[in-house]
Amino acid sequence: MHDLFFLPSWPPSAGDLFWYGALLLAGEITGIAVHRWLRLPRLIGWVAVGLIVGPSVTGALNQQTLASLSGVLNVAIGMVLFELGQRVDLSWLRRNPWLLGTSILESGLSFAAMFFVLRLLNTHPLVAAVAAALGVTTAPAVVLALVRDLRAQGQVTERMLLFTALNSIYTFITVSILLASLAREYRGDWISILGHPSYLVLGSLLFAAVFASITLRLLRLLGHRQESQFICVIGLVAVAVWGAIALKLSVALALLGYGTMMRTFDTERHFVSLNFGRVGRIFLVLLFVLTAASLDLRLLPAGALGGLALVLARFAGKSLGMFALARKSGLTLQKAWYLSIGLLPKAGVTIILVHEVNAMYPQFGPALATIVVSSIVILELIGIPLASYALKKSGEAFEEGQT
Amino acid sequence: MNDLEFRQSSPLSLGVELELQLVNTRDHDLTRAASDLLSFLKNRSYTGEIKPEITESMIEVSTGIHSTYDPLVQELRSIRDTLTAATETLNIGVTGGGAHPFQRWTERRIFDRPRFRHVSGLYGYLAKQFTVFGQHIHVGCASGDDALYLLHAWARYIPQLIALSACSPFYQGVDTAFESSRLNAVFAFPLSGRAPFVLKWDDFNLYFDRMRKAGIVESMKDFYWDIRPKPEYGTMEIRICDTPLTVERAAALALYVQALSRWLLETRPNQLTEDIYLAYSFNRFQACRFGMEGELVDVLVETRRPIGEDILATLDLLTPRVKDDGEAKALSAIAAIVRNGNEARWMREQYNLNGSLPDLVWSQVRRFRGEE
Repeated sequence: MHDLFFLPSWPPSAGDLFWYGALLLAGEITGIAVHRWLRLPRLIGWVAVGLIVGPSVTGALNQQTLASLSGVLNVAIGMVLFELGQRVDLSWLRRNPWLLGTSILESGLSFAAMFFVLRLLNTHPLVAAVAAALGVTTAPAVVLALVRDLRAQGQVTERMLLFTALNSIYTFITVSILLASLAREYRGDWISILGHPSYLVLGSLLFAAVFASITLRLLRLLGHRQESQFICVIGLVAVAVWGAIALKLSVALALLGYGTMMRTFDTERHFVSLNFGRVGRIFLVLLFVLTAASLDLRLLPAGALGGLALVLARFAGKSLGMFALARKSGLTLQKAWYLSIGLLPKAGVTIILVHEVNAMYPQFGPALATIVVSSIVILELIGIPLASYALKKSGEAFEEGQT
Repeated sequence: MNDLEFRQSSPLSLGVELELQLVNTRDHDLTRAASDLLSFLKNRSYTGEIKPEITESMIEVSTGIHSTYDPLVQELRSIRDTLTAATETLNIGVTGGGAHPFQRWTERRIFDRPRFRHVSGLYGYLAKQFTVFGQHIHVGCASGDDALYLLHAWARYIPQLIALSACSPFYQGVDTAFESSRLNAVFAFPLSGRAPFVLKWDDFNLYFDRMRKAGIVESMKDFYWDIRPKPEYGTMEIRICDTPLTVERAAALALYVQALSRWLLETRPNQLTEDIYLAYSFNRFQACRFGMEGELVDVLVETRRPIGEDILATLDLLTPRVKDDGEAKALSAIAAIVRNGNEARWMREQYNLNGSLPDLVWSQVRRFRGEE
């Protein structure tokens, strides 16, 4: 055997590189198949691949492998949130204050409705509050991927992006604060109660501000060269994700804040608006596959009913918020309806927050996971096609072959 | 025979139409926002008219009928303010300019109306490439004969209007070297160019009837001429101008057209023959390509001089006949364009500040609002 040392051992072990390649390939092909034969958004195909390789179906991708792939997942989340942030124009809120009202209403009402339902189901108040807060956010990745895939433009599209960015910010902040309340119940030391959320929220925002101003200074030197700006910004986003993790900040809040502040601070317009395009698509596929692979379908039977109730409550709250100020904010009621549907997708990424809660406070994890995971699964399966339908019906999607 | 009836209108009254661009506030590319904007404005009251155009990224605004400068510019400003307020609420930008500097026409979408779908079906990609933006100036005429006389008398002066209004030097992301690239997009249509040389309304009716019987056109709308009669309004309509970057310039151009039309009708300076069209395409090209520096050949009196010079000479004829302060203001604004350069020049200067076409569009949006 000694003379055959140059041959590989058999079978070779599947390394990270193999998984990236295989998941991309499987995701894209399934996406195309789903789009062509079922006329559903490609994203559904990506999610399906994730569920199939995940622990609950084939288990091909176990927890350990998932953990070793989390680096790319984090960069993908970072890029999505950054891109969403820099697409959102906060000055719009000043010019049309009814939008801020709508955003607060839809988030507040959906939170209240979800909290109420969870309490009816006898969920512990704090668990109910965390689950409701996690439900407030609309999935940034879904919204961005759909808008890009459908090349959608118009009021439903723009407001969907704006409200998604805002309700994501609310969620990240509220969850940080609730985690501290959880800490009081289980640890009881005041330093972690006050310190932890302040560190998470203020630290992440400060971090975002520092990165945004450094980036803008750099871009001033680079000038309006789109290619260079693109590459530098991707580099900076990766470093920012690493930095946020290293400093134990909220990656989500830091990157969303980074993107938003880039846009807001850029009064001299040095920053060429970015669209991560093809590179972004690679990360998007991986993001959907990997987050879906972290969903444990085995929780579904136990949580289905609660999950469904949560989904309905959430939709009721969000649409009520949309309709209340629609006319005042300059939107027709019909478009308000499509917008309510467009905000349905629930962030698969929140599963990561659930895992974080799990890690920090194992006592709460399972109860929370059952309900949240069920509602995420339901909304991945129906929320994505419905949001896609809403963009098409509102006339804002631009499809191939259309005039 | 189904005659086109030329409805009489108050002579030399003016109406202005502007085709405007709708852009997003992020990278300032054209955006599909016309439906949203129009449904926002639907239940609100405003002066003037705001209508859809062939693609979702355009709208057309039009004024009522005016005979003097001040009410015209006031109405245009009021329409502009309505648009500014609405677009602020909806987070879009509205701007003048003959063409969007870097939009890709493949991204355009036809506004959902039977006529626009028909045009798109007939002309294919030309319809989307026709995402260009012009100012149309209507001049009231006492009769169809007057309208036709004016139409052909104006042919010689068309290069002046092109040079004065030119503001589409960039198209599809490149500097075209033209001052007005928009007119090249219009030229691709089979029924573009100039009206047939007839000077009597009855003869025009004969022509129109033959075209209709031959199945070439259904209505006057099918002609994309630089100047066409508009019998249902009782006007001659000049469609050659790029939409200026400010409403004040649009008003000044309209007043120049009014003053020159009045001079033409009152003095009838030249015996019109079809010879006026010998140099038409040459002059038109010179104006589109070189603006004020382009050469204008007058075949009837056999002169050749730069268009800027020709405008100043024309102003010398008009100034002694000025009828009010408003007109005087407008004519001196026209002289200022010749001296200081047109908006194509302003756009190139603006672009050279930092080499960014999106920034150029943003400064156009601000200029249109009257902030610059």
